[in-house]
Amino acid sequence: MSQRSMNRLRAEEISVGYPGRTVLDAMSLDIPDGKVTAIVGPNACGKSTLLRALARLIPTQGGRVLLDGRPIEKQRSRQVARRLAILPQSPAAPEGLTVLDLVRRGRTPHQSVLRQWSRADAEAVERALSLAGLEGLSSRMLDTLSGGQRQRAWIAMALAQDPELLLLDEPTTYLDLPRQIELLALIRQLNRDAGLTVAMVLHDVNLAARFADHIVALKDGKVRRQGPPAEVVTAETMQEVFSLPCTVIRDPVHGRPHVIPA
Amino acid sequence: MMRAVRIGPVCAPLRPRPLAASLGLSLCLAALGLAALAWGGYPLSAGETWQAATGRGDAVAAMIVLEHRLPRILTAIGAGAALGLAGAMVQTMLRNPLAAPDIIGFVAGANAGALLAALTTGGMIVGGALAGGALTACAVVALAWRGGLDAHRLILVGVGANLTLGATADLLLSFADERTAADMARWLTGTLHARSPEDAALAWAGLALLSPAALWLGFPLGRMALSDDLAAGLGLRLARLRLAVAALAVALVALAVSVAGPLPFVAFVSGPIARRLTRCAGPALAAAALTGATVTLGADLAARMVPTFRLPAGVFAAMAGAPVLVWLLWIEARRRRL
Ligand SMILES: Nc1ncnc2c1ncn2[C@@H]1O[C@H](COP(=O)(O)OP(=O)(O)OP(=O)(O)O)[C@@H](O)[C@H]1O
Ligand SMILES: [Mg+2]
Repeated sequence: MSQRSMNRLRAEEISVGYPGRTVLDAMSLDIPDGKVTAIVGPNACGKSTLLRALARLIPTQGGRVLLDGRPIEKQRSRQVARRLAILPQSPAAPEGLTVLDLVRRGRTPHQSVLRQWSRADAEAVERALSLAGLEGLSSRMLDTLSGGQRQRAWIAMALAQDPELLLLDEPTTYLDLPRQIELLALIRQLNRDAGLTVAMVLHDVNLAARFADHIVALKDGKVRRQGPPAEVVTAETMQEVFSLPCTVIRDPVHGRPHVIPA
Repeated sequence: MMRAVRIGPVCAPLRPRPLAASLGLSLCLAALGLAALAWGGYPLSAGETWQAATGRGDAVAAMIVLEHRLPRILTAIGAGAALGLAGAMVQTMLRNPLAAPDIIGFVAGANAGALLAALTTGGMIVGGALAGGALTACAVVALAWRGGLDAHRLILVGVGANLTLGATADLLLSFADERTAADMARWLTGTLHARSPEDAALAWAGLALLSPAALWLGFPLGRMALSDDLAAGLGLRLARLRLAVAALAVALVALAVSVAGPLPFVAFVSGPIARRLTRCAGPALAAAALTGATVTLGADLAARMVPTFRLPAGVFAAMAGAPVLVWLLWIEARRRRL
């Protein structure tokens, strides 16, 4: 494959694990440029581990992760952070932090010790707050928010980072159904309008089928299926990946596959 | 939405609350300093103190103010600020207020090192404190390491190291002859009694050397307070930063111990007090340094006010610090993090 047609973020035969345990064994995966990718799979199959490896948060024991064609761990971390943002699965913040403080910290890779604040920072923070629907909450303490409000604050922080690639680990946790739809619609809108490449772990296969362009189904640290929703979300795959007997129908409104568990 | 201040190439957000807190602390420190200049076994009026300080008063008053009280005050401020900075940095890095250099053994290590150097060579105190602090930091981290560093295990190991090194210092002191032992009183609990202008100069020169690095690290520290994954995701190189923070904290602690002995609890209380005053989730380093200086100077002033016992400042620092420790332990226990 030529340099040109290569995707910006890809894993080549990566082996990743924790002391005494290998989670991903020689896995290769491309995150398609300009698309919304959903990563699905049962608990503990290695989804978060994969996302963390793609964002250089956990070192690979073998293989390599390439960002823009170069090994990610050989690039300056700050330069990587300007292009790629990640929201981990259970982010934590110290007490006494306001929503605004948190979202401002998303600007870190665009700042330096000498230039800790600029007009561009102010604009990006304001835009992120309004995209996440948090304008009225910006001066609230993070630990006084509801789970869903807090989740939106974390997403605003990642958006303030102004990345070209966005990795999200279960961004819809804690959100009620309308908020889940709203968030996924926002992500797809950012993808369509700004060309943001997104890879996110989702547990709801139906939402993944509806909002993603590309689905990666993992099981036991291996990619079992990947492709457009119509090819991946099938009764066969659900049985193979989740051991879930089900019927898959075509959703009459959006024309996407829809899983009905047996 | 947010105002920024610009000084030359430096542009930083303007935060009124931390600024006000730092101003208040500075005023408090100045008032304590003036009181400490005037007050003592040879009391001077405000006017006499001023004359002595500007070199116009009578010779005795000038000697007392310039050669005894001023060095003592300046040493207290320098040592306190160094401890406050070191404490806030380590607490922020490890995301736990109990992980202060004086709780996890850094201060006791620097103290044992300084004592050993003083006993064996008669000098080399700063070097001994640096070596002792660095060795202790390495040992505590190595003992607490299990595929990674967990703050709680580090604290437990550190408390053990703290007690062991404290006992070691007592033991070392018992080998000294009587006169030397009296000279070394400062290495028991920390005292600012009879500090020379050289001590004050050392404290301030060290602080001038180290505080730019501390201010530089304040920016990443505010991000390291989030979580490892988030901080790394924002582009921070955590391994390098942790090493830098630990090294700087050891140096600051060694500096303070060299001039004032192992003042207990100052490093521990400064960060939490500063954070509450500034209502700032970051490390609040400037406010922590000012708090450390204020607490130390206050403790020394209190020590001087009980003339018959000649209590060291460390006793009063401990009296102020111990309730804060109990309070923080209580908060931590309520959160079931301990
Ligand atoms: N920090 C860690 N130390 C040791 N083992 C870990 C660690 N994090 C995850 N694991 C293990 O690695 C495996 C994969 O975990 P991972 O978090 O990637 O799963 P996941 O697919 O994201 O699961 P979930 O849907 O529950 O979030 C699991 O067996 C888990 O126990
Ligand atoms: Mg996960």
